[in-house]
Amino acid sequence: MGLKKLAAKVAEYNERLESGKANKIKPGHVDKVLEKLRKKAEELETEIAATQSAEKQARLKKKLCVARAHVERAEWLLKELS
Amino acid sequence: MTRYYLPVAIAALLLTFWFSPDAQEIAAGVAIFLFGMLMLEDGFKLFGGGALERVLETATGSTTRAISFGIVSTTLLQSSSLVSVITISFLSAGLISLIGGVGIIFGANIGTTTGAWLVAGLGLKVNIAAYAMPMIALSIILVFQKSKALRGIGYALGGLGFLFLGIHHMKEGFDAFKDQIDLKRFALAGVFGLFVYSLIGTAATVIMQSSHATMVLILTALAAGQISYENALALSIGANIGTTITAIIGSLGANFQGKRLALAHLVFNAVTAAVALILIAPLREAVDWISQIVGIAPGDYAMKLAVFHTIFNVLGVVLMVPVLHRLIWFIEHRIAEPVPDVSRPHFLNEAVDEFPQTLEIALRKEVLHLYENAAELILHGLNLHRQRIFETDDVAAEVRRSRTPLELDIDEGYERRVKTLYSAIVEFTTRAGDKRLAPEIANRVYALRDVASDVVQAVKSVKHLRKNILRYTTRPQGAATELYDGLRTEIARIAVEIRKLGLAPAEQRSALWLDQERVQIEEAARSTTQRVDAFIRSEDLSPAAATSFLNDAGYAYSAMRDLIDAARSYYIERDSAMAEVERLLSFDEEELDDPFVGSESGPGSRSPEGSITRTS
Repeated sequence: MGLKKLAAKVAEYNERLESGKANKIKPGHVDKVLEKLRKKAEELETEIAATQSAEKQARLKKKLCVARAHVERAEWLLKELS
Repeated sequence: MTRYYLPVAIAALLLTFWFSPDAQEIAAGVAIFLFGMLMLEDGFKLFGGGALERVLETATGSTTRAISFGIVSTTLLQSSSLVSVITISFLSAGLISLIGGVGIIFGANIGTTTGAWLVAGLGLKVNIAAYAMPMIALSIILVFQKSKALRGIGYALGGLGFLFLGIHHMKEGFDAFKDQIDLKRFALAGVFGLFVYSLIGTAATVIMQSSHATMVLILTALAAGQISYENALALSIGANIGTTITAIIGSLGANFQGKRLALAHLVFNAVTAAVALILIAPLREAVDWISQIVGIAPGDYAMKLAVFHTIFNVLGVVLMVPVLHRLIWFIEHRIAEPVPDVSRPHFLNEAVDEFPQTLEIALRKEVLHLYENAAELILHGLNLHRQRIFETDDVAAEVRRSRTPLELDIDEGYERRVKTLYSAIVEFTTRAGDKRLAPEIANRVYALRDVASDVVQAVKSVKHLRKNILRYTTRPQGAATELYDGLRTEIARIAVEIRKLGLAPAEQRSALWLDQERVQIEEAARSTTQRVDAFIRSEDLSPAAATSFLNDAGYAYSAMRDLIDAARSYYIERDSAMAEVERLLSFDEEELDDPFVGSESGPGSRSPEGSITRTS
């Protein structure tokens, strides 16, 4: 699913943009979001390293996976726009 | 008193018209002038597109900046009343500080003196009616245009045209009037005259609710020789006191901050007027001296009045700025901040209704207030202490420790702390929908109403859980307690994550972070079903208890999803393009079951298994 789903959403967004129902996204907008996502991923990595509990660590690792998936999606979107 | 105001005012006007037909022209001039002011205000609201409101937010960084903003905005709008109403609205919405608001009011008092200069310097010397006609005619073409900016310019141009036309009719009326009645016969000299004419100036401004209109009336009467210069000075001092009525009326629907600003306005103008009355003789000398320097003819009393009006207003600001902090202290003690009542709306009031930006921000704050109340009720409903949950490093352990039942009537709590606020929010958004808001703002306003609805749904879901939470979590009862603790832990974690997002600086946070919780919820819902199956097989849980738990789990996961949806919508980027990016990157509902398929980031592909259904 992942990027394929995102590609479908981008196509739908482009249709809305053409009909004037969406705001134009510039690479700068994606950059800003990407920066926040990378920072969150870094924070989670630091938290994982400092966590002793195995259960909490497992939960944080799953969160990190989500954060990385977002970063991957944002990088893809940025490439599409550039 | 208000019951008699209208018939008395109409009767007085008709009686005056009967005695003197020329008074009709003066009264019509005042009416046209006030109509022009209204049009000018409407024009700036349309043309400005919220620019004034946006600037206002940043214009109160220092007292000097606030005063400067007051001067410039009042000069442009030619209405200190509008500026004071906007300021009250912004103060009520918590967008500016009281000291900043008072600074703007000080500046507005100086800015309003430009009106006297315009009338005395231009209006009485040139045939402005000649300009008024083409302005009004051109404006009507623009007013019928589709473009908001053009319509705004049309209203502003028309407003200015009517202002000019009003001045012309007042001037003509007084010129004709003097041939019939010599009002100068009623001139009063000395302290008594000062006092009486100050009162008349105050009363005239209270009636017309515009010191600007009163000043034009005074200037035209003075130019026609119908009042003496001394009495005109007193009238203008009175007009300064009377103008505070607009702020006082505006503050009636405002919160305590708006009322404080109106009191500051009254104190400032009353003190300025008192100083002007006491120092009338030296002020007159100062006016003569300045007039001589700038080349105003000794007999040009209209221009001299404009000089006087400016001097005494500037003097007021010069005298009050050094004691500004004392004034604020006095006002804050006179009108104390009411003890916060969580069951009442804190931010929604009539004053914030005035402008789209204050309306939206006040609504945002109120929705957050609702969420705070709801989060506390939800956690208490689960027998959890909010503070302990927010401070702990291990939520699951804190939940296991929390076995003491909390004294709580959740139904009463819902009615008092959630439903009342939600009703106020729904009423407010419905009222906002009746206004012609820009589509972008309207969408955000409706989205906030939906956020409030999600929050309320979450509380309702937790209400269903309360009975079994009390039954199974106040003392250990094996599998059932373990399962209910699991639900309590998941909900508490959601509250913790939403709090973290709220505490993060706006420029660093992203609503996308909540996707981590969304994935976690769906995974927890799946594993809960598996655990229940395992407990039934091992006979640690009876089928009846399992059914009851699964029912409760449905409510619990529903509450979690509602809370997350509310937070995602609340914390989504306010910039439309950035919000669009977040929406594109966010996981869809169907992706939540396995978000890492086709991605390099995930812990591996998994197929969705039986899960507690979404009950949205």
